[in-house]
Formats: sequence, C-alpha cells, structure tokens
Amino acid sequence: MESRILQLIAALRASGVRVSLAESAESFSAVDLMGIQDREQFKLSLRATLIKDVKDIPTFEKLFPLFFGTGQPPMMGGNPTDDMTPEEAQMWAEAMKQFAEQMRQRMERLMNGEPLSRSELEALGKLVGLNQADNLNYQNWMAQRMMRALAFPEVREALKELMEQLQQMGMSRDRVEQMREMIQQNMQGMQEQINRFAGERLAENLSERPRGENIDSLMNRPFQALSDADKKLLQREVKKLAAALRTRIALRQKRMKSGQMDPKATIRANLKYHGVPMEIHHKDKIKKPKIVVICDISTSMRFCSELMLSFLFALQGQVRKTHAFAFIDHLESISEDFSGANADEAIQSVLWRMPSGHYNTDLGWSLQNFNDDFMDTLNSGTTLIIVGDGRNNYYDPRLDIFSLMTRRASRTIWLNPEPSTLWHGDSDMPKYAPLCNNVLKVGNLRELVNAVDELMTG
Amino acid sequence: MTTIFDSTSTVKTELSKQKYIASDEIATIVYLSEKLGKPLLTEGPAGVGKTELAKGIAKATGRELIRLQCYEGLDESKALYEWEYSKQLLYTQLLRDKLNDTLGKADSLAGAADQLAKEEDVFFSERFLLKRPLLKAILSDQPTVLLIDEIDRADAEFEAFLLEVLSDFQISVPELGTLTAKHKPFVILTSNNTRELSEALKRRCLYLFIDYPTLQEELAVVRLKVPDLNPKLAQQAVEFVQRLRKADMRKSPSISETLDWANALVALNASNLDKTTLEDTISVLLKHEADLQKAKRQYINPPPPQQPRPRNNNDEFGRFSGN
Repeated sequence: MESRILQLIAALRASGVRVSLAESAESFSAVDLMGIQDREQFKLSLRATLIKDVKDIPTFEKLFPLFFGTGQPPMMGGNPTDDMTPEEAQMWAEAMKQFAEQMRQRMERLMNGEPLSRSELEALGKLVGLNQADNLNYQNWMAQRMMRALAFPEVREALKELMEQLQQMGMSRDRVEQMREMIQQNMQGMQEQINRFAGERLAENLSERPRGENIDSLMNRPFQALSDADKKLLQREVKKLAAALRTRIALRQKRMKSGQMDPKATIRANLKYHGVPMEIHHKDKIKKPKIVVICDISTSMRFCSELMLSFLFALQGQVRKTHAFAFIDHLESISEDFSGANADEAIQSVLWRMPSGHYNTDLGWSLQNFNDDFMDTLNSGTTLIIVGDGRNNYYDPRLDIFSLMTRRASRTIWLNPEPSTLWHGDSDMPKYAPLCNNVLKVGNLRELVNAVDELMTG
Repeated sequence: MTTIFDSTSTVKTELSKQKYIASDEIATIVYLSEKLGKPLLTEGPAGVGKTELAKGIAKATGRELIRLQCYEGLDESKALYEWEYSKQLLYTQLLRDKLNDTLGKADSLAGAADQLAKEEDVFFSERFLLKRPLLKAILSDQPTVLLIDEIDRADAEFEAFLLEVLSDFQISVPELGTLTAKHKPFVILTSNNTRELSEALKRRCLYLFIDYPTLQEELAVVRLKVPDLNPKLAQQAVEFVQRLRKADMRKSPSISETLDWANALVALNASNLDKTTLEDTISVLLKHEADLQKAKRQYINPPPPQQPRPRNNNDEFGRFSGN
C-alpha cells in the first residue's frame, strides 16, 4: 500500500503537480488516521493532503483510480453454452465448424466469459509497446491496439455471422438474442479490463519517469534548439513559473521612501515618545515599474519574445502599466492584442498583420516609427526593455533615436539571446550596448526567468 | 462543554445540528484537519458557505470563534498585538508615588536602577498587550476556532508572517519572548481564489475546495434554512438557480443568494414560480445589470419562436453579395 501511494505521488509529480516532501509525509499520517476501508475517505485523505490547487484536482481524479482500482474483475455475462439443450449444442457445434481453428478458439474464449489473466495482459501490452509509453492521453489508443492484437473486430464479425447461422438453423429467436446479449457483455467486460490495464500501466510508467528530467533540461536548452512540442510544454511551464515569480516579486518590490504621510500610523508609532512625532510614517506605496517593451518577432527571436510577453502579462498586478510593441521591418503597438489573451495566440494575430520575410529585420526604421508615434510612452518612471538580437541587416541602427529613448527612460535593459562573443557581422549590439543600463543574455527559459526577476525588483 | 469529533459521521451530525449540511467530502476533511491539528484552507466561489462552515464548527464544538478579516494593508499591529502605550503612561503617572517609595529606599543611583530593573516586568507584561485576533487565539484559556477570512485579500507579506503562527502555533513578541499556544486553535482559512497563495502557506494546510452544491444538496440546505417555503416551490426555485449557474453569468448566484431568494419568496407569500413573481424577485439572485437583462430575456420572457420573415432573402443576398 505504501509503495502504491508513493507511486501515485510520483505520477502526480510527473504530471506537473507540485507535491513537497512534507505533504507526502502528511498524506501518510492522514491515511493512518482514516484507514483504508472506506475507499472514498481514503481518496479524500490523500487529496486533502496532496492537492492544494483546484486546477490540480482533475489530474488527481484521473490518476487515483489507476493506482487504486476497485480491484473487482470486470462484469462478465456468463457462458451461453452452459444451459443448452442437446439439440442446441448440436446446432452450435455445426455452426462453429465453418471457422478456422484459431478463430474458433478466440470465439470460444469470448463465449466462456473468462477475464484475461495477468500474464496474458502483460504479453499483450508488450506486443503493442505499452511499456515504453508514459502519456495518459494514449490510454484509449493503447487499449485499442491491444484489442486489435486480440483480433476483436474480426471476432465480432464472426460472432455476428454465427448468430445468423444459428437462427437459420432453427434456433429460437429469443434464445439467440439472449446469447448475443451475453456475448456482448463479455466483450464489454474484456474491453474494460484491457482499458484499465492500459491506464494502470501508463500511470506506473509515468511514476517511474526520472524526476524533473523533462522540464529541467528544457529550461536549460537554448531557444533555437526547442521543438514545437517542447515549446508547448514550456508555455505551460511559464504560467506556473509566473505564479511563483509573482509572490516572490510581491515580497521583494521596493517600497517608496517618501510619499504621503500617514497620520494614523504616525500617531500610533509615536505614542511611546509622548506623542512627539519622532518617527514619521508614510502611506505604504510599492514602487511598481512602468514598462515599455519592444520585441523582435522575426523568426529567430519569436519564441523568446513570446515567452517574455507571457511573463509580462502574467505579472500585470506587479506592474503599473505595460506598453508592448513588436517589430520586424516596422514597429506596431500590440498592447491591445494582449488584453488577457494567451501570448501565443496574440503573437499569432500580430504575425498575421506583420508577416515576416527573409532578412528584413530593420530595427533602425522601427525606432524611427517609435520616435514618430510613441515617444510619449517613455518618461522618468519607465523601464525600457528591448528583446532582440540587434541584428540589423546592415541598415542604419539609428543610434540617435536610441540614445534619446534611453535618456528619456529611467532604465534600459536589453535582453539578447546571443553572448557578447557573437556580436559581430551584421550585429549592431556593440553600438547599442553602451547606451543600455544592462544587457542580459537570455538564451533559455532559466535565464529569462532570472532576467524578469531582476527587472521587476531591481 | 467542548465536544471533539470522533468520526466523520459525528462531524456531519454535529454540523447539521448547527444547520450546516456538510457533504461527505467536507466532513472527512474537517475531521482529518481536526485530528492532524493542521489548518484547513477552504477555497471556492463566493457565497458557498466557507465562512459558515467555520461558524458551524465553532458552534458544534462549543468553542469561541475568533475571526480575522483580511484586507489589503493588514499588518501585524492589527492582526497580532500592539503595546498599549497610553495605558502604560497612565500607569506610570498614577504609580509615581509608589515608585518614589520603592526607589527612595535605595541609597545610591545604581541601587535605584537595580530596584527599578526588578520592577521592569510590570511595564512590559501581558497587561499592556492589546491582543489582536491571532494572539487572542493563541493565548486563550479555552480551545478556540480561528477563522482567517479571505486570506487572498491580504498582502503576500502578511502570508509570510502567518507561517509561524500556522505551523508552530506560536508568536514571538520581542519584549516578552515566544508565546506558545495553550490549546492549539482549530484554524480555518478561506480564500476566494482572487490570487494565487504562496506555496509555503498551502503546504502547511489541508485543502478543501467547496464548489456550488448539487441540486439535492442545495434543496436540503433551502429546506433546512427556510422551512416555511413550500416543498414544491423550493424544488422549482432550486432548479431555476441551478439552471442560472450553468448559463454564462458575470456573477453566478451562490447559496447565500438562493437562501435570500427563498426568504423573499416566503415573505411575498408566493405559491408558484410564475412570471410576475420571477420578475419581481430575480434581482435578489443576480447582482449585475447585464446578468439581469440576460436572465429576463432567456428565462422569463423568452423570445417567440422565429417566424420566417418575408423579403428577408433579398436583404441577405444584398448584404453578402458585396463581399
């Protein structure tokens, strides 16, 4: 039982639920207390101790029955050949003759209503590669493959034929109907058994998956080396990271040193000095940055920008105002696209308006656009963030505008996926970098998280 | 006086005596939380009875309910304790003569200071400590139920500060040292899920998610709390509310609103859920103008079935041929 619970916890972790050691220890004391006689109470004691987020409840509800099945054999309809009259048995044998030996065995197996044995299931699983899979979404597919390996569709056809034959041979209609129902039930029972086995095996494999292998290695992998599936996985991870980051940032954001005086707090604090105001208290005000972000969304930079924008919008509560701009060959404001929507969808809609071509990235012209239309978004409270590789295809980098922008903004931070050793060729980074307060290398998700942390609390 | 739950079924019966209908899920988790001595974090939409649960538990166990309502800007001095300086000053003023007596006996300055040091405890004692809810719950001579309501409204710093209280049931007061609970209070935290709580806080609690009730559960609640409503009408009313919840509303009606509505129906002496009764009372259920309009359109005055309009075809063609 203990190892089963540990397997469940491992599977929960592998499906992205955070379960700490303290919580798993807690679940054991809860189970000790409640006992395991009542399945429902057992489930609740595990759930209350392990799952702390309503979003994770469905995952738990899906995994729990796979590890703690009811254990009952599937419902079988019984053997229709048991109570046959001699005549009927005669007819039966006659009708069965038409099928090949192998098929006959399979049919009889189904007829007898015997569930599959463990070893048979194991063998079937091995045949379809069940042991290599650990994704629960494949449960139905795996079960279907196993049934196909048992030649279920053919057997079903054959049984239909057999029934028709028996009816032609003069067996009563009710009797045939009864037999058909029984066989139907047997079949369903077996299907259920296979399905359950597939689910259990997948869940077990899931729990044995080496921990953290997936996400951790993805977080350290450079953006360019990510496949589309990896990107999807990371997008989901970003939401979780953003939540963690949010609490961390809320705790560490700087407070205003000056501001409106708080008379109530001041009087309260100075009672100990006979009411002489020695300590002045101010209304609590948190310094929230105002952000202007300019993202390169050309093909090479798109994913990095996407993740950055996801972060910024997940952190709306910690930011006073965000203006977002995207550019490839020219610059556009994309703030409206992000009113609550997913960053990837929003990026898609932006790309629809701004198709990317080959080697047409032009930061200089984009800065000109910014100068013409949006310069007023920058003021002394703004943090200017540029996400881009600074590769300008030998166009004019417009350093004049850029230096004006950095002077208007309170800080300028450049996030660049390339390390400084690669800043040559058409890269204008060496020219832009001295104008920025900080240039951070953001080549993978972990570096991006650190960069976001830095710019929100710095 | 204090009864202690000895099984999940006692939790259920004791709570139902306090007019709180607990599902198996709620009863089991409450029981677990009491036995393990762990705080209980309840989440769910507004108005499903999270606060009521705490009140019910307090009444059922005969313990005092100490409530801490959280809000933005709540700090230690309002949640934990505060030194009552004015009282301290007043005491020193009034005790001046007595102090003179005590200190007068000393023959040197150092002697007087020693004398004073002996009496120091008088000035920094629990006597001058203004107890706020958390300290009250910790120092109470009787076991209590501590309700920390709507924790998601408090700032993240406050959460961090709660951790000491929740895991060790102790509070550090610099002048007095660490105060440990005489009786572990039964702690219930509620959250409306308006923001994510920190992992550290969640880890210390058991988790209970209370969702909107099923039809049977809600009917049972209405029958218990509003016994005057006739059963047929109660059934109709609850069915209507359940239907509203399935619709996409800005603010779905919760149990507390169902109960308000049931009371309104009793007050109006309604015998049937007809159109006029609905129109008169639906504002009790729905609090947004847009929701009200929508409900009126969909359920009270459904639009008549679409009639085929003459000359409609021409219009349609005219509109689309432009593209």
